[in-house]
Amino acid sequence: MPTDLDSTEIASASGAEIQAPAAGGRVNRYALFVLPALTLMAGIYVYPLWIVVEQSVHDDKGVLTIEGYRELLTGPLFFRVLWTSLEIDVMATAIALVAAYPIAYHLSRQTSRRRMVLSGLVLLPLWTSVLVKSLAFIVVFGDSGIVAAGLRWLGLEPPQMMFNRTGVLIGLVHYFIPFMAFPILSSLLQRDPSLEKAARIMGAGRLRIFWRIIVPLSMPGVLAGCLLSFILCLGFFVTPALLGSRKDVMLANLIDFYLRQTFDWTIAAAASVLLLMLSAVFIVLLARVPGGRKLVVEGV
Amino acid sequence: MNDDRSETTNGEGAPTLGATTTLAAWLVYAFLMAPIFVVIGMSFGSQYEYQFPPRSISLFLYWKFFSDPQWIAALWLSVRVALMSTVLALAFGLSAAYGLVRGEFPGKRLVTLLLMSPILVPVVVIALGLYFYYARLHLIGSYSGLVAAHTIYTMPFVLVTAMAGLRHVDLNLEAAGEVMGAGRLTIFWRITLPLLRPAIVVGALFAFLMSFDEVVIAFFILEATSFTLPVKMYGSIQFDNSPVLAAVSSLLTLFSVCICGIGVWLQRNR
Repeated sequence: MPTDLDSTEIASASGAEIQAPAAGGRVNRYALFVLPALTLMAGIYVYPLWIVVEQSVHDDKGVLTIEGYRELLTGPLFFRVLWTSLEIDVMATAIALVAAYPIAYHLSRQTSRRRMVLSGLVLLPLWTSVLVKSLAFIVVFGDSGIVAAGLRWLGLEPPQMMFNRTGVLIGLVHYFIPFMAFPILSSLLQRDPSLEKAARIMGAGRLRIFWRIIVPLSMPGVLAGCLLSFILCLGFFVTPALLGSRKDVMLANLIDFYLRQTFDWTIAAAASVLLLMLSAVFIVLLARVPGGRKLVVEGV
Repeated sequence: MNDDRSETTNGEGAPTLGATTTLAAWLVYAFLMAPIFVVIGMSFGSQYEYQFPPRSISLFLYWKFFSDPQWIAALWLSVRVALMSTVLALAFGLSAAYGLVRGEFPGKRLVTLLLMSPILVPVVVIALGLYFYYARLHLIGSYSGLVAAHTIYTMPFVLVTAMAGLRHVDLNLEAAGEVMGAGRLTIFWRITLPLLRPAIVVGALFAFLMSFDEVVIAFFILEATSFTLPVKMYGSIQFDNSPVLAAVSSLLTLFSVCICGIGVWLQRNR
């Protein structure tokens, strides 16, 4: 069973393939069109990132130092926050996967017209401000919110659901479901429907077809979706700050803490470099898996 | 349309699988859409505290929002920043997309990865870098600084939509232009760009929305005296929890609904 589809196959299945014209030389003049954006990126993206790296090895008098890294890597705070971040990240990604799969599966079985309409139900939350969503969660899952009231009505003592780990997870899972659902949907849509038909003719049950054919064929999407949500979660700032407690401080909040509370630029920069390196590992990984390559390298 | 029902008895758990996933899917759709209904419902409350469902219906919170000069100033700054950065992201992004789809040069994949990376690199790191950079240039709190930052932040999205659009443009039309003796720039302006119009509109709308909702970069590089709408909301959720937030949220959500609606509609017509 072809569980690992060739990446080029996936890429070329994505629709009209148009070869670049004038493919004679290695460089053609169309390349010049990229220059303005590249210049802009160099000036207000690459250079600022470089400043972070530079700042991380200089103290506020401009003297070369590795004090920032030493303090982070020898003290307990950084590793505690790193561990919290990874814990929250893995849990949010896993729950988002479980929640997103039925959606992707459901969408993949609709006619394209119905799918367009239903995917609006996933698209709209994706494009709703994270602040708006946080506010709604605070109200709905808060101590006097509708969920707690419902639980009380059922005679249950409602647990605290906001300003703790549960709150952060609710917010993050909600945020990541769309990022998970769309890559899975696109790999579900690329599968060959005749495989299922063949399996059915051979007498395979629906459950067996689901686990042995549909799930394995959707693995590229699952992998891309998981990596995408894992990467986005690593540097997440707003949700832990608004829906979590002090115990749910993640890496991005730690950086903000060093910048704003202790005014220590060196250590804030050092923490950023470590976060950047961690993200880079997973971004490179994402760029190598079939579904992710389409997103970040081919831009489709 | 929905072929779940056509499956009858085909072995173990046959009729239930489709029903189970459909039920699960609808539960998740409901979870996804819930915040949207909640904030809209909440915004019609008249209390000085959050209430969902609201006890009475009024436009009091909207009136509070529109009569508060601080909120209006924040809204106005957000609109100006989003408009300007969208225009710039379109200009730079479209050109780059054209170069990446039609062009041939070494390191093309790396360049694409670089141009796409602002959506993947932790925003907080970008924000910190810009903070250090702007501190040196005395651009902290400046309009142009924020516009520049939002331009690179929204450009990946323009790039994605424009590249997808460009792949669907019939190359024969461009070739025809070339045969007729048009230069590359003329072809781009007179043939490619008009054909790309739907992709451009979608890219522009979502780029605007991205900038309009962006909070982390703005939070880092603005001074405590000037706020964009999201930065003011962020502060308000954290500190004073003003019920006006419900009205602001509802307006933002309606705005998202409109933009997504137009986006889906344009894609359907493609």
